Amino acid sequence: MALTCDIGTRIELVPMDSHCNDITVALYKQPPSDAPVYRIHTYSQHPDAQERIGSLSADMQVLGGMQQADDGLLRFPCGHAHQYAARRLFLDACKRDPSETAQAHPLQIHDKKSACDIAVDSLGDGQYCVRAEQGTQGVERRTATIARGLIRLGEMEGADDDANRLHFACGHAHDALIALLLRRAPNVRAAMREAEEMASRGQLVAPSAQN
Amino acid sequence: MSEHPPSMNSRERVLAALNRQPVDRTPLCNPTSVATVELMDLVDAPFPDANRKPELMARLAATGYTELGFDTIMPVFSIIQESAALGCKIQWEQKDNWPTVRMNEPIWTSPDDINVPADLCTHPDTRCVTDAIKILRKEYGDEVAVIGKTMGPWSLGYHCFGVEPFLLMSLDDPGKTKLCLDRMKEITVEYGLAQIEAGADALTLPDHATGDLVSGEYYERYLRDLHIEMAERLPVPIILHICGRTVDRMEYIAQTGMAAFHFDSKNTPMESMEIVKERIALVGNINNPETLFSKGPEVVREEVYRNLDAGVQLVGPECAIPLQTSIENLKEIPRAVRDWHAGYDR
Repeated sequence: MALTCDIGTRIELVPMDSHCNDITVALYKQPPSDAPVYRIHTYSQHPDAQERIGSLSADMQVLGGMQQADDGLLRFPCGHAHQYAARRLFLDACKRDPSETAQAHPLQIHDKKSACDIAVDSLGDGQYCVRAEQGTQGVERRTATIARGLIRLGEMEGADDDANRLHFACGHAHDALIALLLRRAPNVRAAMREAEEMASRGQLVAPSAQN
Repeated sequence: MSEHPPSMNSRERVLAALNRQPVDRTPLCNPTSVATVELMDLVDAPFPDANRKPELMARLAATGYTELGFDTIMPVFSIIQESAALGCKIQWEQKDNWPTVRMNEPIWTSPDDINVPADLCTHPDTRCVTDAIKILRKEYGDEVAVIGKTMGPWSLGYHCFGVEPFLLMSLDDPGKTKLCLDRMKEITVEYGLAQIEAGADALTLPDHATGDLVSGEYYERYLRDLHIEMAERLPVPIILHICGRTVDRMEYIAQTGMAAFHFDSKNTPMESMEIVKERIALVGNINNPETLFSKGPEVVREEVYRNLDAGVQLVGPECAIPLQTSIENLKEIPRAVRDWHAGYDR
């Protein structure tokens, strides 16, 4: 009898979880119901595997503001999928050192490039504004770049008249999620490249195409 | 289709299709690996150990049949087992990556270096395969086809001489190249026979005269006759595997007497079927990097249907699947084959 089960569409995978005996953990989106829900799953029978799944679930709630639904599934309080952001959240949760207590990040970072602190203000109804806390030279371009990074990482929408403003289409605030994405937003390309490199491992190429 | 036999088990179905005989439905065949990191976890048989320990190799390979629903079990995930036995330096990698030969450290430079070691088939990395085949045969009897794999001389040339030196030799000195191939073919045959003796029902024979580096004319000059000889000397159905665009050599491949050609998605099923004209069965050709790895089940289904509509005799992935391929996509292949037949038979 088959042991694998239909648990939805896999949307992200960490092939070797360095924090739990190199087991493979994945994020699955469940088949459509009234609201999209996610399942963290591993096929590993390692004794620590289920505890790790529980820990990742808890981290995604703290770091990204997700909520626990029935059967240990996860959802965003707004009821929307925010799939791309959920993938990023899952990857960051897997990376985090589990020996330290998870804490939601602040809505502020220090941006090395502009030598300036960058903050994101939550304006309500899922609207946000990126601003610099000091007035260093060229910082306007950096805030706009970071806003674009957030738009890309969180599948958000920008404002036509303000390069620093953005919002979630669901119309709900996701402060914890924005704070998590803010750490990646200054260098979106690096985040994308890292994800692509991880995904490209394990593809067999013919001997003639190997380095 | 209305004349197909009433019911066959997986092994009967695969062997009939390889012999181009009637089948109850198109067999699901993986001449190369369908191992994934999730399946490794499921049966606690991760790479690299699953490439080096027969029990783990057999256990992981069996998931292709027990979990994914293929009609074949293919335990030889990698392409380096015999090269390890020949003395090539191997990078065994980790769970999430394929072992590779360090081809920038070649072990041979001339035909005189070629030596078939006495322990070719008893070396731990080749014996692992024959032991795994024995385990699978014992466990699954005659219900499922067990497929082995023996690398062809062109691939062994890349591994043992290095890709660039071997290709340059083929340009500069055809006679020397032919001598090398002639000597290396004995490795292919000896290892193939060992797997047949262990219980393999058929053998995949990858010989990477790939479309990107080698022309159809090259195939005809260097490999066609050797492949004819392989088909004669290895007494089970042989599935030739060459990656890439290969329509320029399919005519020659169809002349080899091999049972099947495992073809790449760079060749459309329809054009390929037209070239081979029932002289050799085709196996394939669901795309790996774009479809199975990156797209969803609906696209997998479309590709399966495209093969079935063209009359491709055995359906499966085009090559060893990426280790991160989703189980959902892999399970869609058998579902699509069964649905296609259900629709056709109505």
